[in-house]
Amino acid sequence: MSPLLVIVLRTLAGLGLLLLNGVVLIYMLRKVLGHLHLRLGPTRVGPWGIFQTSMDVVKLLTKEDFRPTASDKWLFRIAPLLIFVPSFMAYLAIGFSPTWHFANLDTGVLFVFAVLSFVPIGIMMAGWASNSKWSLIGGMRAAGQQIAYEIPLLLSVLGVAMLAGSLDPKVIVESQAGLWLGFLPKWFIVPQFLGFWLFAISAQAETNQTPFDMSEAESELVTGFANEYSGMRFGFMFLAEFSNMFVAAAVGTTLFFGGWLLPGLEHNALALALGPIIFMVKVYLGIFCMMWVRGTLPRIRIDQMLSFAWKALIPLSLLWVVVFAVILKAVGA
Amino acid sequence: MLPAEADVTRWLAAAGAAADEVTTTTLGVMARIEAARAADVLATLRDGEGDFDMLVDLFAIDTGEGIDLRYHLRALDRDEDLYLSAYVDYDGEAPSVWRCYPAALYPEREAAEMFGMMFAGHPNPKRLLTTDEVAAPLLRKSTLIRTWEETRRD
Amino acid sequence: MTDDRLRATPDEPIVAEGRRVPLTSPKGLRRVPRGVDELATEHLIVNMGPQHPSTHGVLHILLELDGEVVMAAEASLGYLHRGIEKLAESRRHHQVGTLLDRADYVSGIHTELAYAMAIERLMEIEVPEKAHWLRTLMGEINRITSHVLFVGTFGMDTGSMPTFLYTMREREALVDILEAVTGSRMMFNYVRPGGVTGDLPAGIIAKLETFLADVDMYLDEYDVLLTDNEIFGPRTKGVGVIDGTTAVAFGMTGAPLRATGVAWDIRKAHPYAAYAELDFDVPLGSQGDCFDRFVVKTAEIRESLKMIRQLIAGVPEGPHMAKVPKVLRPPAGEVYTAVESPRGELGIHLVSDGSDLPYRMRLRSPAYYNLAVIDEALAGGLIADAVVTLGSLDIILGEIDR
Repeated sequence: MSPLLVIVLRTLAGLGLLLLNGVVLIYMLRKVLGHLHLRLGPTRVGPWGIFQTSMDVVKLLTKEDFRPTASDKWLFRIAPLLIFVPSFMAYLAIGFSPTWHFANLDTGVLFVFAVLSFVPIGIMMAGWASNSKWSLIGGMRAAGQQIAYEIPLLLSVLGVAMLAGSLDPKVIVESQAGLWLGFLPKWFIVPQFLGFWLFAISAQAETNQTPFDMSEAESELVTGFANEYSGMRFGFMFLAEFSNMFVAAAVGTTLFFGGWLLPGLEHNALALALGPIIFMVKVYLGIFCMMWVRGTLPRIRIDQMLSFAWKALIPLSLLWVVVFAVILKAVGA
Repeated sequence: MLPAEADVTRWLAAAGAAADEVTTTTLGVMARIEAARAADVLATLRDGEGDFDMLVDLFAIDTGEGIDLRYHLRALDRDEDLYLSAYVDYDGEAPSVWRCYPAALYPEREAAEMFGMMFAGHPNPKRLLTTDEVAAPLLRKSTLIRTWEETRRD
Repeated sequence: MTDDRLRATPDEPIVAEGRRVPLTSPKGLRRVPRGVDELATEHLIVNMGPQHPSTHGVLHILLELDGEVVMAAEASLGYLHRGIEKLAESRRHHQVGTLLDRADYVSGIHTELAYAMAIERLMEIEVPEKAHWLRTLMGEINRITSHVLFVGTFGMDTGSMPTFLYTMREREALVDILEAVTGSRMMFNYVRPGGVTGDLPAGIIAKLETFLADVDMYLDEYDVLLTDNEIFGPRTKGVGVIDGTTAVAFGMTGAPLRATGVAWDIRKAHPYAAYAELDFDVPLGSQGDCFDRFVVKTAEIRESLKMIRQLIAGVPEGPHMAKVPKVLRPPAGEVYTAVESPRGELGIHLVSDGSDLPYRMRLRSPAYYNLAVIDEALAGGLIADAVVTLGSLDIILGEIDR
C-alpha cells in the first residue's frame, strides 16, 4: 500500500472510532446517569433504547442550522470545528496495542495535551461569536479554567515520564509490564498515586465534567458557550466533549493503568490479540468513573475552582514532581 | 394578639396623628390615619414606643368612593398586629413608606398599578405585574372582566 | 444592610426617584448601568429569565454584572399573573379555593386552609375535630412534598443532578397519598369552609406507615448528597447572607426568616387546626445564609414527619364536615387569617359585604415578600451565588404573581 493510502485509511479509522465512541458514550452516559438517578434512561428506541443516540444523530443532522443575525458569521461557523478537530487529532497519538495505533509518535502524550489545549480557543470563539452574554461568560470561564488546570495536568504526567524515561505511549506502557512483590501489577498508579489523583481531578476539569463544568453550568449559564448553536454544529461540540472524555480516559489508562497490559498476559500472541480489548475495557471503566463523579457531585463555584487550581493543585503537583524526582534518584542510586 | 386600644391611641398621638378612630373588629385593632401623613406615622410606629418592626402586608381596597390603603403592621416581639387604614382618592397620592419598611417596595408598585393611584417618593415607580397594554387599573370595581357571569355583582 | 441605610437617601436611585404616572413604564432600557468602573469597562446587563433553568418558574431578573460579579439585581414579575384577586371577587366563596390552589401550586392545602379559616371566623363555624385533624395531616404531608421539591431544586441550583430525582421518589409516594385522599395530585380543593371534602380512604394509614418506615433513610441520603458534601458547603455557607433586621424589614417569613434566628412560626404563635395539640420544634438557623435556609428546611421535613407520626397515632372519630349552608354568605366584616405555608406566613385578608361573593380577597403571599430581598441579597455575589440565593428563598411564581 502506498503511504498516502495508509494515512488516509488511518485517519478514516480514527474518525470512525471517534463517531462510534461518541454514539456509544452518549448512550452510556444516559444509561449510567439514569441508573444513578433512579431512572432508566432511554428505553423506547430499539431494545433497551440502544438506537436512541443514533436517532438523535439523525435528528441533529436534519435540524435547522440556525445562526443568530447579530452573531459573527465566520467565527460562529468555525468555532465548532475548532472544538472538534483538536479532540479528533488527540486520537492519533493513542496506542491501543503494541501494533495498533493511528500514528507512532515519540512524544505522543505531549502531543495529546498540546492539541487539547486548542479546545478552549474554540470554546471562547463560540462564546464570543454567538453575541450572547451568557455564551460570552461561558467562553471566558472556559479560558480561565483551561489555563488553570492544564498546568497540574501536565505536571502530573512528569512523574510517569521520569519513571518510563519517555513520552512515547508505547514505551510508557511497556515499562509497566511485570509484577511488584509478585502480586502487585507494575502499573504506575502504585508509585504515582498522588500523580494519578492530580491527573484525575485536572482531567475532570479539562473535559468539562460536572464538578467543574463551568463553561456549560446548566443552572447558571443555561448551556454556556453552546447556547446559540443548533443542529449538527451543536452536535460537533457535543461529540467533542465525549471524545475528550475518551481521550482523557485513554491517556489515564496509558499512563497509570498499564495500557493494554494485563498481569500474566504479556508478550505473547494472545496478549497481542487481546490488547485493544483490554485497553478499551480499561478506558471505559475510567469513563464510567468520570460519569459516576459527574452524576453525583454538585458544581464548584468559579472562584473556588480557580483558587483550588492555583493555590492547591499547582503547588502540590510542583512539590510532587520535586519530591518524586529526589526519591527516584535516591532509590535508583 | 391584639394591642390595647389605649396604647394604639397613645402611639398615634406620639406620631401627631388624629387618634380618635381606633376600633376593634373581627379583624383586630384598626386605626384610621391621614394618607398624606402615612410615612411619618409609620416611621413613628416603627421607631417609637410601638416598635412595630414588620410590615406584614400593604394593599388597597376599592370602597366605591375611593381607595382604602391598608397597612398591616406587626410587633414581632410582643406578637401584636395593628391595622392602619388610609383613604386616598382614585387618582390620589400617598407617600411611599419604603424608607421605614422596605417590604412596601413591591406592594406599593402593585397597589399603584392595580388601583391607578400614586406613591410619592417610590424609588422605582414602575408596573409590577402587568404589561403596558393593560390600560385599566384592574382591581378597581369599575374595571369589568371578561364574561357576564363574572360581573354579576350589581 | 444597616439600619440607617434603610432611612437614608440612597446615593444613586435605581432609576429616578419621583413621581411617574403608575400606568406607564420607562421606555428603552429598563435598567441603566450605574456607569463604568476605574478600568473603564462597561457593566453588562443580562436578563436572567423568564426562560432560565434556575428561576423556578417564569421569573425575570435583570442582573448588572461586572465580569462574574453581580452589581445589582432587579426582579421583573408578572409573567404568571392571572389576576386571582380580581377573579375571586366574582366567585362564590366555595369556588375561591379552586383559584387559590393555582396560586401556590405546590402546597395548595395551605392556601385553601387559610381561606377556609377566614370564612369560618367570619361566619363563626365550629369545625369538627376530625376535620382539624385531617387538615393538619394533609397540610404536613403537603409541606413535605413542597420541602423535598425545594431540596431537589436547590440541589440542582448547586449543580447536583441526583438530588432532584431522589427527592421525586419521596414526593411521588406522598403525592400518591394526597391523590388518594383528595382526588388530585396538586390542585386539591380539599379544605372547604367548615371542614374537608372527605375522610381518609381505607388503607391510607398503612401506606403512610410504609413510607414513614423508609423515609429516614431517604433523608440521610440527602445529607450525604448535599448537607455533608465538600463542594456543597462552600457553595452555600456565607452566601446570600440576610441578617435578621433586614429579613424583618423586608417582611420575610418562613424558613428564610427562621434561618436568621428569628423564631416566628404561625403554627407556634397562633396555633390553628390541630397544631396546639402537637409536639414539635421550630428549627432555627443562626447565620442567615443559603446553607442555613437549606438546613432549616431539611430539619422542618423531620419535624413534619414527627407531627405525622403523632397524628396517625391518634385518629379522632366523628364527622369531617360541619353543617354549613349551601351558599356561604358571611356577614359583612373583615378578617385576616394566616397559616404557616411551606414558604412562610400565608395570609388571607378577606373583606365581605354580606353577599355570596368576596368583596376583596387579598392573598398575602410569603414568597412575594421573601423575593423582594433579592435586590439586596444578590448584589456583591457571583452569578453562581445569585442562582443559589434565589433557589434558597424557595419561591413559587404562581403565588408571587397571583
